[in-house]
Amino acid sequence: MMPDLGQVGPAAEPVVQPVPEKLPAVVFDQVGKTYGRIHALSQINLAISGGVTGILGLNGAGKSTLFNLLMGRCKPTTGQVRLFGIDPWQDPTPYGRVGFVPESEKLHDWMTSFDFVTTFARLHGFTRDEAKVEAERVLDFVNLKEVMHTPIGRYSKGMRQRVKIAHALVNDPDLIVLDEPLTGCDPLARTTIMNVVRELGRMGRTVLVSSHILGEIERITEQIVLLHRGQVLALGNVHGIREQLDRIPHRILIHCSEGKRLAKAVIDMEHVHGVMIPSEGVVDILTHDLGAVHQHLPSVLIEGGFKVTRIENPDDDLESVIGHLVGGGGR
Amino acid sequence: MGSSTKAWSGLDRKATAVAEFTLRQYRTRLSTWVVLASCVVALGTVLLFYIDAMNDTVESVDNDGDGLFDEDGPDFPSSVDATSTTFGYDDDGDCRESDRPDGAKDTNNNGVVCDAILRQNWFGGSAILWDNDVDEDPNEEYFVEEATHRAFLLGYGKLGIVFLLGIFLPLFLATGLIRGEMTSETMHFLLAKPIARGEVLLYRMLGYLTLVWPASAAVVVLSALVTGFAAPGEGVFRFEDLGIWLAILLATWLALLVYGMLFMTLGVMWKYGIVLAIPFAAWEFGMAFLSMGLPSSPLLRVSVIGWCLAIIDAATALSWSDQEAFIAYTTDYAVWSHTVVAPGESLGFLTSQAPFEISATGNIAVAILVLLFQAGVIWIIGQSLFKGKEIA
Amino acid sequence: MSETPVEDHEVRFDEASPVTGASRIEAAYTAEDHGQASVAKSGSTGQVFTQTYLPWTGTLNPRWARNWAVYRHHMLGLVRSGHRPWPILIRVYLVLVLIGSVGDIFPVLLGSLFGEGLGQVFMVSRDSLYAHVLGFFPRNVLYYPVVTALIVGTMISEDRLNGTSALYFSRPITRFDYVAMKYLAAASILFILCVFTLLVYYTVEVLAMGRGWSWIVDTFPLLLGAVAAGMLLVVTYTSLGLAMSSVSTNGFFPAIGLLALILGSKSVAFLVALIFEQDALYLLSPYDALANVGQALVGTESNYELPWTWSLVSVVVMNVLSLYLLANRVASMEVTRE
Repeated sequence: MMPDLGQVGPAAEPVVQPVPEKLPAVVFDQVGKTYGRIHALSQINLAISGGVTGILGLNGAGKSTLFNLLMGRCKPTTGQVRLFGIDPWQDPTPYGRVGFVPESEKLHDWMTSFDFVTTFARLHGFTRDEAKVEAERVLDFVNLKEVMHTPIGRYSKGMRQRVKIAHALVNDPDLIVLDEPLTGCDPLARTTIMNVVRELGRMGRTVLVSSHILGEIERITEQIVLLHRGQVLALGNVHGIREQLDRIPHRILIHCSEGKRLAKAVIDMEHVHGVMIPSEGVVDILTHDLGAVHQHLPSVLIEGGFKVTRIENPDDDLESVIGHLVGGGGR
Repeated sequence: MGSSTKAWSGLDRKATAVAEFTLRQYRTRLSTWVVLASCVVALGTVLLFYIDAMNDTVESVDNDGDGLFDEDGPDFPSSVDATSTTFGYDDDGDCRESDRPDGAKDTNNNGVVCDAILRQNWFGGSAILWDNDVDEDPNEEYFVEEATHRAFLLGYGKLGIVFLLGIFLPLFLATGLIRGEMTSETMHFLLAKPIARGEVLLYRMLGYLTLVWPASAAVVVLSALVTGFAAPGEGVFRFEDLGIWLAILLATWLALLVYGMLFMTLGVMWKYGIVLAIPFAAWEFGMAFLSMGLPSSPLLRVSVIGWCLAIIDAATALSWSDQEAFIAYTTDYAVWSHTVVAPGESLGFLTSQAPFEISATGNIAVAILVLLFQAGVIWIIGQSLFKGKEIA
Repeated sequence: MSETPVEDHEVRFDEASPVTGASRIEAAYTAEDHGQASVAKSGSTGQVFTQTYLPWTGTLNPRWARNWAVYRHHMLGLVRSGHRPWPILIRVYLVLVLIGSVGDIFPVLLGSLFGEGLGQVFMVSRDSLYAHVLGFFPRNVLYYPVVTALIVGTMISEDRLNGTSALYFSRPITRFDYVAMKYLAAASILFILCVFTLLVYYTVEVLAMGRGWSWIVDTFPLLLGAVAAGMLLVVTYTSLGLAMSSVSTNGFFPAIGLLALILGSKSVAFLVALIFEQDALYLLSPYDALANVGQALVGTESNYELPWTWSLVSVVVMNVLSLYLLANRVASMEVTRE
């Protein structure tokens, strides 16, 4: 295009297509990945943006493969991966906006965490001084400021996880990907990391967290992608997914000393279509409408004067969700 | 903010970061220090032998029986101009004062009686043709020391520095540049950044060169100083050899570059890429000896070390323009019949002709270009392999 | 929940058992304690458990059989999967070296077809027997040192890196046996490539050229000398290589180190001998020391000015030092992966 040297005439029409305001951070378009005869992933269609999303699946479901495709560690056999609209395999530029916390525990044990974060921050284009400032900031964020001049080789597992997270956050990324961040951490470290992840989600970043321990994802986020055997089994809000599975009844487990009497009282309730007594003192109520039953249950219990020690909703968690979707009943 | 960095931009910051990281990684590894120390010890031992030899006195022998010692210094011509240049002087008059006819006094048929000329051999090198009874009484001390000194410079430079440093430093230090990171699963810290894979290769290479180039330069400078001061000849320091040392340094640097690229790329290609590097190193060892024994062999044109040693050979012709005549003189049986080994034997073995019939600078330029070309080709191969590598 | 009290010598572990702090530890076997029985004592607070081990109720193989299993694992891994996985490139190189090593039988076979004149140079003689084992190029540049380097490169260090040495040391195999079998495996491979091919060469000559008994009687001492030299080479290279392999955990540092030692010391010694005519450094170069001894054993002309007895001492010292280093390192080796 020749420059307009005369500077006369009306302004030229913009020929560039307007870019959509908010590109989804992560797009998987009909992505499949095959290793020889093993289909690690097939027909993955995902667009993820904003907030914390949990990637769930049993071991071998394809979670790590998904992240490897995203981080340019391997190439999709079919389909396209887009990170902020760019194919990461061809162009590593989008990594400037991404922070990746890998699963592997291997770090450079001879470096101090300060050195580690600083050195790799400079690969984002920081100068030495900028990198040092940013490193201090993120190490403070993950509570490692006091030990940041100790070699990583002396850190506990939880501290190593936090170093990895700090390293991922140093460039203030818009997308943070964490591959099984809670494995091997003690409860204190787990709480810290979960708080960090929730905080990041609240700040408006897109966060992807993968895990096979469903309880911990539950405590971080409600938005999940469920992978099973390389395919997306379910997508969306945990509870919403559960609600949709109306064919399978919800269960309410009540621990009470007078099981038989309670069963008789409950069976007449609306929306209850089955009651079981799996063992002495435990009543298992089957219903299609959890909310309605829970609304009326307290009055039934009070009227009957039952001494209830525990009420559980065993199905309303992710283990059961997967269990149901994958095949077979709940717990 | 850093997030605006693209691949192949902000080069200085990324390059220095990776290079510094590489250097620090080397520093923490025991193997780096062991390797550098072993090289220093090995080369230092050889230098000690040199110093010892330079301090030895050489006995003078009255070769031509005229009662005087060592009348003949380096009076041979400095260039091989076949039939015309003559040298040699019939000190004791055996030839001149004999009553043979002129034809019998000019057995080498160059039109001058009682002299010697330099003639090129068909298999390379030159030889001296003497007229009958022209005896030389060489200055043993000068020739033996000079020959030893020159042989040492060439042998030490070619085998000790260019070969030993040039091959073993990359073998130890360059193979793990990429493969080491892949094996220890820390590669993704380098790759999941706005940095192209080719950049990673380049900067790792840069870090490696920042270690080995100064280290080898230090060895060369130290050796040059030691041999410069301990060398035979007038003057405190021998400046004529500096050209050779520069050539040795250049050849070593290029060897370190090409071998480093090659071994790094072998590491990229296969997990056990080093299994190929080891026989290759042994093969290059053979090539180094071939370059000294049979320098015209075409096999040398495809090896790396052949070209590196060619730089030194070309520089030898520049710095020591009388080398060929010197070798011819110091290996001549007639002159050295009293010694067990003529002083020029080892020098003759260690000296080779530069590969092409062009000027010495031309040879050096060609060799540099070929080596840089080899490095470039290897880098292109390495980069494309690395780009296509999954789960690196 | 049953509250039946539990006898001291009868410890049960079903759901109903109370938690008393008693336990029973059964382990398969150990090599060292000659099969003492063991039962755990139940402890109250403050008491330390005495743990001894139950012998495995099956029959433990004799020691040689266990060692044979380790040796076999290493050797079969070259040709079959399901055993120690040698990288394919190493196997290829071994095949190439094998072909190269028997290179001298083809001229013999040819010579037998076309008459002696053609292959005279390759017929069995002092020089050719010596050259088969200790010839410099290509055998002792490209074949034997490189093969040793490749084999011992990861022998011990790979076990340490992958944590499989812990598998060995939790079995009834002593550390000495572990190292000895690895040593034997590496030496066997070198033996096949160096000494076995020598015997093949000799046999082919006898058969193809129809040599009679008198010829065999004449040349047999030469063969023995060459075999002895070959064994010395096999043992020395293996000792040096394994000593290096036990020192470093880094992947191929031992391999490169061995090659650097053999070729580097040869270069330096050659350099010094060439320029300064001093043969002293040949004592420090493993190849030259072996070559000097080999020349004396086979009876070929010696090209070293050193007495071969000195070289023999040097070879012995190298072996002793390497084996000492190897023994030390393996005895103190920690088998955790970190």
